[in-house]
Amino acid sequence: MKPHPIRPGRLVAKAVLTLAGFLAVFPLLWTALNALKNNVDIITRVPKVFFTPTLANISYILGRDSVLAGLYNSAVACGAAVLIGIVLGLPAAYAVARYPNRFAGDIQFFVLSLRFLPPVAVAIPLMVIWLQFGLYDTLPALIVTYSLLTISVIMWLAIPAFQGVPKEIEEAAFVDGYGAYAVFWRIALPVAARSLIGAIAFSFVLVWNEFLIALMLSSSNAKTLPIVASELSQQGMNVPWGILNASVVLLSLPPLLFLGVLSGFLNSVFRQKKS
Amino acid sequence: MRRRSSLPVTFLVPTLAILLVLSMVPTLYAIVIALQNRELSTTGYSWVWFSNFADLFLDRRFLNAVWVSVKWEIVTVVATMVVAIGLGVLMFEVAGPRLRNFYCLLFIIPVLLPRVSAAFVWKFAYHPLYGIATYPYRLITGGLIFDPLSKPGTALFAVASVDVWQWGLFFAVIVLKLLETLPPQPIEAARLDHARRWQIHAYVTLPMLKAPLISLMFVKMIESLRSFDLIYVMTRGGPGVATETLDMYAFSQGFIESGKVSYASAMAVLMMIATVITFTMLWKRVQA
Repeated sequence: MKPHPIRPGRLVAKAVLTLAGFLAVFPLLWTALNALKNNVDIITRVPKVFFTPTLANISYILGRDSVLAGLYNSAVACGAAVLIGIVLGLPAAYAVARYPNRFAGDIQFFVLSLRFLPPVAVAIPLMVIWLQFGLYDTLPALIVTYSLLTISVIMWLAIPAFQGVPKEIEEAAFVDGYGAYAVFWRIALPVAARSLIGAIAFSFVLVWNEFLIALMLSSSNAKTLPIVASELSQQGMNVPWGILNASVVLLSLPPLLFLGVLSGFLNSVFRQKKS
Repeated sequence: MRRRSSLPVTFLVPTLAILLVLSMVPTLYAIVIALQNRELSTTGYSWVWFSNFADLFLDRRFLNAVWVSVKWEIVTVVATMVVAIGLGVLMFEVAGPRLRNFYCLLFIIPVLLPRVSAAFVWKFAYHPLYGIATYPYRLITGGLIFDPLSKPGTALFAVASVDVWQWGLFFAVIVLKLLETLPPQPIEAARLDHARRWQIHAYVTLPMLKAPLISLMFVKMIESLRSFDLIYVMTRGGPGVATETLDMYAFSQGFIESGKVSYASAMAVLMMIATVITFTMLWKRVQA
């Protein structure tokens, strides 16, 4: 590459990028900062950057039963749904990727089309159904409903991941006398593991962030963390801003833990495309 | 070669059966409910067939919700693609490999946030008195109030900006990765012909990426249907009905205001039919 002379266009471009990068993270950082403020430091016409930090908001949040129950419900519902997604989604994806049949295209389209369904259209009938079974507002109902999401997403993302495993490795294992199942367990799964973990992490983030279905399928016992957090804000204009900010931070942390995994997953998807 | 094995059947059939049951039962049941007159407050019901649907077309609030949904879909999809392509091209042009990685990491953060969190973050930011996003306006005008979320003219755009904040930045990363997969020769050739930078992208690289960009837009169109969380937290469909999309209206009919589950379900069924037909047709065209 020859060195570029400094031109105004490049400077403007860099400025725009810097601004975009700033806008990407600043609102979240500001929220985190507000979580450490007393209410008087938040309700100021001129935003305060310097203040005496307090841990009161965070300890209040972590000490509330409703928040802890939400955290527990979210963890159980998402964990179980992702587990079901792994157990049912990965093998199915492998079968579609490695044993082509004339339905493969239709199966892939069916799995994708589940994403077209408007969440309200699923949530309203399910609410009536779970009410009739006496399972409304319970974790099992939520887990089963979320499984539809996790299975389809994991399957959709795992098909290309399995297709990316070099066929030669699997063929060699067959020659060595491995059976079809052994090849899946001992060759395909470990080789594709990195991409598969990305797919699984993605499905977790998706259900952790889910709101509408949880809102409609729970009234008190099975409320997940997003619902609890949204309720905290429904306290009129006299909101405890600091506490709200702290709950937003708590809610946002788990998905952000997967930032590294997911950006690596994104890279591997496009590296595959390139080769 | 692979021998005949029971693997495809044992791996596929149970999963597909479960997916079919989990998706078809609610879908069909939604239609059944839509043909009845169930309400949350009472247990009895009878069949009213298509009268819910007939009522919908006379319901001006429903027609408003259709229009708001269409506006939402157009605004968010167009703005997301513009932001994504703009920032993607800029990163490709002026950022070195390390800076690109850094920006990519930053730009993925918003989309990972729960929609509820993103909505809260920006609801605070847009607060007319204490918000950080309205602060510059207060500063410049010497303390005038600007409340984007409670004005009918700006509320939809204020909520849409959060959606674009999440998806536009994320898609910019994908556009960059797509640009990086392109072979360098056509770009070099255009450069030798003294094409300007923007001309190279407008006439060479972006046309080469037409297919993946259309797929990307397709994904965004599907994701834009999930606007409920943002609108529920930020405006609840208000002010008035300015941001009341179809799912918001269905939710308030079915749960908040009147508990008319059947009426809400009729709305959801219409949405479902419209989206499934539209997206199936689009998908077949994208694949063709």
